[in-house]
Amino acid sequence: MKGFIFLIGSFLLISCAALPAIRPVPNLAEKNIICPSPFLTGKIRLIHAIEVRAAGQVQTVMIGVTMMDPVTRTISCALMSAEGVALFEAVSGPDGLKVSRALPPFDAADFAQKMMDDIDLIFLAPRGALTEKGIFATGETVCRRHKEPGGWIDVWQGHDGAIHICRYSEGGRLQRSVTLAGGLANPYSTIDLQASERVDYSLMMTLIESEAVRDEPQRKE
Amino acid sequence: MIQIASMKKVFLVLLILLMLVPASVRADNFERLRRDSSRISTISADFVQKKFMKILSKPLVSEGKFYYTAPDSIRWEYSQPIKSVVISDKGNTKRYIASGGKMIEDKTGGAQAMKIVLDEVAGWMSGKFTSNPSFTATLKEGSNTQITLTPVGKSMAGMIEKIEITVTRKDASIKSVRIVESATAETRIDFQHVVINQEIQPSVFQDVQ
Repeated sequence: MKGFIFLIGSFLLISCAALPAIRPVPNLAEKNIICPSPFLTGKIRLIHAIEVRAAGQVQTVMIGVTMMDPVTRTISCALMSAEGVALFEAVSGPDGLKVSRALPPFDAADFAQKMMDDIDLIFLAPRGALTEKGIFATGETVCRRHKEPGGWIDVWQGHDGAIHICRYSEGGRLQRSVTLAGGLANPYSTIDLQASERVDYSLMMTLIESEAVRDEPQRKE
Repeated sequence: MIQIASMKKVFLVLLILLMLVPASVRADNFERLRRDSSRISTISADFVQKKFMKILSKPLVSEGKFYYTAPDSIRWEYSQPIKSVVISDKGNTKRYIASGGKMIEDKTGGAQAMKIVLDEVAGWMSGKFTSNPSFTATLKEGSNTQITLTPVGKSMAGMIEKIEITVTRKDASIKSVRIVESATAETRIDFQHVVINQEIQPSVFQDVQ
């Protein structure tokens, strides 16, 4: 019996660890497959309400401000409590990561980098070589990239129109799963991010305000 | 030589007087504020909060309602852009957030952080601006009274540079609060439709909905 359970467990582990298989599209050359691209094309500032869930329960709600430039891949972000207390502020770009404010628990060693990686995954077109185009067993068209220094990113559009972005480790373990429920028409209206970490968590982001950025942000009044 | 010594003495006495007189005036003014505030038993008000940050092109505006019953019951309720309620009553503070159309209790340490803030706010409402040893308080009289709280020591370094509280001369109620976090970040809260000494039901400090 123990051996059977071990076998079942091993099978489940292996199947979870593997990247989903991509098949060629019948009667369609790979070059003619169009990859869904919900990613930013211009500089923008977004304000979201962020619901943080862990262990299946809502833990808290915060306000997140992100300003991004897809050309330079520069990300500025701030997290505030619902009452407007600034908890975290950082900028990431060609000059590296600079944290200007981080109150506990947002001062944890790798929090800032992981947050920037999540923002990059959601909003900026993935870098790395496009390695595969095709369809999943369920029929959705998918494009897979191999990212540097390692790992895989799949982008596909579900039958319901929602866009999905998944990040896997080099070995194929699912690390992040993003669902943009608004599809290509309104990708940032509702963002659901599921994170597989030591303690799994999820973020449900609801757009409060969106603004194209044409120049430098103004200072205080 | 004797004249120079005498002048030095006079100068020294004048200097001491100049230092002492404003201090006594300041103490009197804070005492007056405490006396005036002691007449306040309840406050209800709407508030508009504007958050200024370098990352924002225009301030992030939040709105809500504020309720206070002396000595320390507070309900701080945001309706925009995110619904949240912090209730402090009889030393017990709880924070609620909107999720799935209902209010649920915050599971993080947010409530305890807010307790510190609300205890401070309750102190201000009863005119106690000088009781927190973490701040030094100065007072400036004008058309309204402005109290400036500056953090003492390094415990608030990088968090708060100063807090400015404007109190109306008419009834000693708080008109606005400005929290300066850094050179590029601050929060301004303006209280409107302030109603003083009208009965507030105890359930306001117990029920979330």
